[in-house]
Amino acid sequence: MKYVSLVLISHSYEIVSGLKKLLNQVQPEVSVAIAGGVEGDIGTNALDIKEAIESVYSEKGVVVLFDLGSALINAEMAIEMLENNENIIIADAPLVEGAYAAVVEAGLGSSIEEVVRAGESAKELVKIND
Amino acid sequence: MIEKEITVTIENGLHARPAADFVKKVNQYKSKVELMIGDRRINAKSILQLMSVAIMEGQTIKVMTDGEDEKDALAFIDSFLQSGKES
Amino acid sequence: MTFDVEQAKKWIITFNDKIQENKEYLTELDQAIGDGDHGLNMARGFQETVKKITEGKYDDLGSLFKDVGMTLIAKVGGASGPLYGTAFMKASLALKGKKEVDIKALVEALAASLDGLKVRGKAQVGDKTMIDVWEPVIEYMKNHETIHSKELTDLSKEKMDDTKELEAKKGRAAYLGKRSIGHIDPGAASSYLLFASLAELLEEGEVAQ
Repeated sequence: MKYVSLVLISHSYEIVSGLKKLLNQVQPEVSVAIAGGVEGDIGTNALDIKEAIESVYSEKGVVVLFDLGSALINAEMAIEMLENNENIIIADAPLVEGAYAAVVEAGLGSSIEEVVRAGESAKELVKIND
Repeated sequence: MIEKEITVTIENGLHARPAADFVKKVNQYKSKVELMIGDRRINAKSILQLMSVAIMEGQTIKVMTDGEDEKDALAFIDSFLQSGKES
Repeated sequence: MTFDVEQAKKWIITFNDKIQENKEYLTELDQAIGDGDHGLNMARGFQETVKKITEGKYDDLGSLFKDVGMTLIAKVGGASGPLYGTAFMKASLALKGKKEVDIKALVEALAASLDGLKVRGKAQVGDKTMIDVWEPVIEYMKNHETIHSKELTDLSKEKMDDTKELEAKKGRAAYLGKRSIGHIDPGAASSYLLFASLAELLEEGEVAQ
């Protein structure tokens, strides 16, 4: 794979399904997989996350973005359950803005570290400048 | 270094999809590329910086390119921002 | 007294009964300082777990606890799934291949569960989490030749109650800071039910290690 892949995790399926649509429009060549909700309810679960990562895994790497607290625990668990789990980094980034910055960076062919950095720098994003 | 004032005619301005496209294409040039929006100066190769400004349809901005392919870079940007549709 | 596959099943079934009975209470606790789904998540997850283990035939404790752990991870969601899931997975590793064990070995397995919980959740005593019940309870069981059912139950309850005055340092409750004080931690409450269920089981035999 030429590009780093992204995995988006949210307590809400609709959030990540919509975000994936946006990212696919923005950078169609970057692979984006999602995991959201538990059995149709709000929540996150490690098995869905594991499957999502597996579906887009390559040696170029996978960057994982998540919304709130327990999604992180489930993401860590998912990564532990994988046989091939080098080159997977969980970004400490806001989900939407971080994913947007990360997908653009990934689309440039950047390395996993650069994609993580792009995602995480969304934390400093000032959106309104008056 | 060369510069030009350009009026943006992309429908809805430089929003999510064209912004990402713009950054990707601008990164292919070796030159330094900066935009002046009002009194804010941003690095056009950084999606984060581009995300922090709103470039609206009809807005006039200043584009500065500096490097061995500065002419090509500026020509591309001129065409992109005035294409009236995503190129 | 020995702890075998039938005992283990009974423990989980009893725990599930208590969770179903206390579903609203656990949810209320979680509404006060969390996102309001602890009761629902645990009820769903443990109901599925009981279904799985009742249908299953297990030769050893390890494979029983593994099914418990994996079902919880898949069905509970939230933070409780991976936390309780990890606890049972660690116990399953410690009890691999064992058809039955003495209480000492069970306690050792639960001590491994506790270690797993602390790594997974990154919490320690005083953070206002399930650890505030687990750690003192495991200490008690490690340090007593004979485990008295009533002592175990009372200790678990006391430690659960003690979480009321703590300020949350982990989990969704941590966002509330000082406003989390005055509420019992839901994870501590479900942990009390877990150990109360174990205590009921042990009551049926005198539990000398």
